[in-house]
Amino acid sequence: MTLGDILKESWLSISGNKLRSFLTVLGIIIGVMAVVIMVAVGETVQKSITDQFSSLGTNTIVIRAGAARRGGVRSGNRQTLTITDAEQIQKLPDVMSITPAQSGSAQVIYGNKNWSTLMLGTYPDYTAIQDIEMDKGNFFDMNAVKVAATYAVIGPDTARELALPDNPVGEIIRIQNMPFVIIGVMKARGDSAFGSQDDMIIIPITTLKKRLQGSPFPDSVSMIALKIYQDADNAVVTDQIGTLLRQRHRLKDGDEDDFQITDMKQIMETMDTVTGYLKLLLIAIAAVSLLVGSIGIMNMMLVSVVERTREIGVRKAVGAKEKVIIIQFLSESVLISFIGSMFGLVLGVGLAQGVGRFILKYDVPFSIWPVILSVSVAVVVGLASGVVPAIKAAKLNPIDSLRYE
Amino acid sequence: MNIPIIALKKINKIFPLEIGGEQQVLFNITFTVNAGEFIAIMGPSGSGKSTCMNIIGALDSASNGTYELYGKDITTMTPDELATIRNEYIGFVFQNFNLLPKRNILDNVMLPLMYRGISVQDRIRRSREMLKLVGLEHFETYLPTQLSGGMKQRVAIARALSGNPKLILADEPTGSLDSKMGNEILSFFKKLNKDLGITIIMITHEFEIAQYARRVIHIYDGRITFDGPIPKNETVLLKSEQEHKK
Repeated sequence: MTLGDILKESWLSISGNKLRSFLTVLGIIIGVMAVVIMVAVGETVQKSITDQFSSLGTNTIVIRAGAARRGGVRSGNRQTLTITDAEQIQKLPDVMSITPAQSGSAQVIYGNKNWSTLMLGTYPDYTAIQDIEMDKGNFFDMNAVKVAATYAVIGPDTARELALPDNPVGEIIRIQNMPFVIIGVMKARGDSAFGSQDDMIIIPITTLKKRLQGSPFPDSVSMIALKIYQDADNAVVTDQIGTLLRQRHRLKDGDEDDFQITDMKQIMETMDTVTGYLKLLLIAIAAVSLLVGSIGIMNMMLVSVVERTREIGVRKAVGAKEKVIIIQFLSESVLISFIGSMFGLVLGVGLAQGVGRFILKYDVPFSIWPVILSVSVAVVVGLASGVVPAIKAAKLNPIDSLRYE
Repeated sequence: MNIPIIALKKINKIFPLEIGGEQQVLFNITFTVNAGEFIAIMGPSGSGKSTCMNIIGALDSASNGTYELYGKDITTMTPDELATIRNEYIGFVFQNFNLLPKRNILDNVMLPLMYRGISVQDRIRRSREMLKLVGLEHFETYLPTQLSGGMKQRVAIARALSGNPKLILADEPTGSLDSKMGNEILSFFKKLNKDLGITIIMITHEFEIAQYARRVIHIYDGRITFDGPIPKNETVLLKSEQEHKK
């Protein structure tokens, strides 16, 4: 019996019972389609989260003030960090760029437009840490920080809301009634994990602390953000910063940190693990429908063996060996499963890509895994669901089969 | 002519019963068949003639005793070895034809050749020859359901002959046919036996049909009561039954 004979016999048997074969194939189509779509959904979610975090850079470390426990109460707003802390941290060998930062809300006026937005006081290094590119004009430099210049760099959304001219560089806006010169407009960056990055005003931190807030502690800041060299170890630098800050803040052994260090790499790894589990969960749910589909094949094959008992008897009477009967029934179940898997794969990929690209307008990553998965499923499900019926068929006694009514 | 191709020695067949216990249906069946013989195995319903035929055809095995086919003891063979024996030595013709209903006539006739591993071209050539021999060369693409009973039996004969067997076993080959069609089939068997020297063993319970053969083995109650040339009338056979009853 050649491979051609096996395929022909299988095809004739499957096509001989079109409706039943179609319904059986449908089970596998739905199963494989569900798995393929779930893999795509999982990967899309994972990619989306990874993209958002990687826009911040994995070599970014953020230190926030506060979070020390006093009598069991978390006091997150205490401004325990200082610009001097940032200057000391900058001396660590692995630190590439650093900025202290203080945020606040600002009421901005230009002409007759009034807009409330996020205001951030930083160092010029903020551009390097956040990968900020300028659309027009420039970011302020360290001199502006030293003299607490009333310079402002604005986001494209803020510029639009204030109805600024096309090139707003040199225009005067009023923030909390203090005039500021716009020296640059940032390029649009879209949303990040921490909200819109395009509607904000960045000014020198000294200007914010001394001129706008008139703070009694002009040195204190709510946050320090830094970027370390690519080859540096995040964990080592985090430890060094922790030790340094504890010394500087004179914390005793047993005292809790009065700052929080957030390592983007660690967050990303955690998110990766979480989304990985999410993906596995989705695939597991989809796999259940695949399992149901394969039970459908086994059921059909078992019914088929009973229905074709006489046929099996005839085949054995004219010389079919047990092995040949097993191969024939297995190839039927594998062929059904293969046809179902291929349709399921095409439909699944088509739906995932179609819905993703044209309806959700999201770039769904195309993965080779569903293809490998579908082919493996075809073989494994086909073999697994066919093996019991095939052995049952092969072990039939020829004379009992011929007498079967 | 006198080369024994089948030698049954003290064959017994015992079936277990579903309600428990067992029933013996063949007792010490012993006979030989020479190449080129045309034998009718006769007997009333339930006499054990079909069981005897199934053992000869390697479709069933004896409970004890020995059975040699072409000098090979097949009583100890595995199911796969028996499949090879059936494929190479025996052609079956059944009362209910046993054609595959969803395969066309040519595919049905080619079936034994496919299991023998013959190339597709040779299978088709040989099967077309056989269809021509039985006069159905223009029906090769038909399905069995599109043919009359007589035509179906001719297809079954073509299938039995396609493997070029030395032995044809026919179990009530005319049982599902009218007498005209039945006579045609039996004449064809006679021709095959005479012209091609094929050994034919045919089961029947009708004496008229048995007369196409040259030798009759009469089985009654699982025992051979008569073995010899076809008698002139059935009385001899019935008498042998009576003698056994005593």
